Amino acid sequence: MLSRPGIPPHPWVVDVAVVVVGIGLGAAVGSTVTTETRSQLSQPGGPEIFLGSLSGMAGTYLALVMLLLVSRVPPVERVLGQDGLLRWHRRLAPWPLGLIGAHAVLLILGYALAAHIGVVHEASAMATSSATMLAATVAVIVMIAIGVASIHQIRRRMRRETWWLLHLFMYLALALAFAHEVVLGPSFVAHPLARILWSVAWVAVAALVAVYRIGMPLVRTLRHRLQVQEVRPEAPGIVSVILSGRHLERLAVSGGQFFEWRFLTRGMWWQAHPFTLSARPSPPYVRLTVKAVGDFTDAVGRLEPGTKVAIEGPYGAFTVHAWRRSRVALLAGGIGVTAVRSLLEDLPLRSQPIVLLRATSAEELVLDDEIAELARVRRGRVERILGPRHQVSMEREIVKHIPHFRTRDFFICGPEGFVNECRRAMASLSVPKDAVHHEVYRL
Amino acid sequence: MRRQLLGLGATVAGLVAVVVSHPGKAPGMKPAATSKAAGPPPQVSGPVAPSTGGASGSATGKAENYGYGTLDVSVSVSGGRIVDVSVPQLHTLESYSQSIAQQVIPMLRQEVLQAQSANIQGVSGATYTSEAYAYSLQAALTTLGFK
Repeated sequence: MLSRPGIPPHPWVVDVAVVVVGIGLGAAVGSTVTTETRSQLSQPGGPEIFLGSLSGMAGTYLALVMLLLVSRVPPVERVLGQDGLLRWHRRLAPWPLGLIGAHAVLLILGYALAAHIGVVHEASAMATSSATMLAATVAVIVMIAIGVASIHQIRRRMRRETWWLLHLFMYLALALAFAHEVVLGPSFVAHPLARILWSVAWVAVAALVAVYRIGMPLVRTLRHRLQVQEVRPEAPGIVSVILSGRHLERLAVSGGQFFEWRFLTRGMWWQAHPFTLSARPSPPYVRLTVKAVGDFTDAVGRLEPGTKVAIEGPYGAFTVHAWRRSRVALLAGGIGVTAVRSLLEDLPLRSQPIVLLRATSAEELVLDDEIAELARVRRGRVERILGPRHQVSMEREIVKHIPHFRTRDFFICGPEGFVNECRRAMASLSVPKDAVHHEVYRL
Repeated sequence: MRRQLLGLGATVAGLVAVVVSHPGKAPGMKPAATSKAAGPPPQVSGPVAPSTGGASGSATGKAENYGYGTLDVSVSVSGGRIVDVSVPQLHTLESYSQSIAQQVIPMLRQEVLQAQSANIQGVSGATYTSEAYAYSLQAALTTLGFK
């Protein structure tokens, strides 16, 4: 019997989390408000310094929330899923960066106005006056650099690996900034309770990051000792990698989930990439299927048998647990077929799933024989939808092939364009939003 | 949308709770005439004349801990007027606080000489320093029987 992950927490957990995070934000901002006196707001630089303190507090608090989001702590991960996490990450990220940038600018300006000296003079005095301020200066420069690199037009020109490496420096920046917050922050100076709460919150979140981003992956990697068994071409540019390992019956993974994979060879060991399992583990083997779209995925096709593999995961909420209604349909675009293939395995017999496989041409269809067999056993059926994008309307195909689409759950997986088209079709067909589950492959 | 409202509501609730529960701080820099007890007794030198007309002499208020460090304020009074204020002792935990205090103290001195009392506006960005300065100054003025 294979282990299976626990049932994900109910969505109301998110509501509770939103309330707790909101109260914390209010309290953080409030603690700054109470340190200010009205008469000082009318002084030169007063409003700038007040707003600078506020934005620093709010921005750093939001940075803490983002750190919690990326910690991959299981309840957050299982409720939001990869898609949700990324969406929240992108939606939130500009706020802490913008607020912390504003914090630096406003305080330099405010103190320069208060002291009647030039902005440049004040900035250099601030940066060099003490070790904590020097650290904070380095931190804000790093943050601004990461913020600038995140601007869509600039990020597009960077390699994914460079981008990822740059991102890691955010942890360093947050650590460097911590000392100046508790030593100099008006909300913490002379407020020992606030200082303790703030420190405990940061230490706790840092511990979660250490446990779930470093500790657990290390334990699982060492327990399962995965290594490449075979690399098998599936179609032009698409390969399956079969790995062997120990104790795989203890690897609690659902169909549709993915791991971050790290192939321990020269030139590849330092970067982890997300790939879905294209079949549930069948000890002592697991299989992933990868489409070559970049340097890294190209190199996957040339992996030598025996290559050791480190894993982080399993992650993702694109699993059978999301299924609520009586019927189910699975829609796969391109390489999204891998998640649908492993998800199909988790569906009960007689679930009569309808599977739509979307590809530009027949030779791009991979794993479709396996999918046909899995669907047949479950008394379902598979439809293959071929043709260039401008000739195919997913809405028309859904209406044509899927009856009872208002009493069904839909699982959609594929490239962003495909998933968005399907979601639009669902919306115009009045399929309830909570019946649509999707996972985007970001290439 | 519902979640945004939920988060917004919770934020406002947290903000209000902290601001309301915070022990209210009087607007302005008016220190209580009797400073919060404890600490070494203020040092007085020169003739103390707690009478009307004009107090004279100089005194140093008790050292105030203001979170970033400690300071005390020494004041000289002559003929019922504050003629000089200084900070004989300034210790900060951190050199950034030191440089802020060194910027702020001359400005506070100027405010005191103008206001002729410890009831000063304070300097923005140095709330705690200004408060500690005003408290220590008021303690010194009280021992001199000034006003």
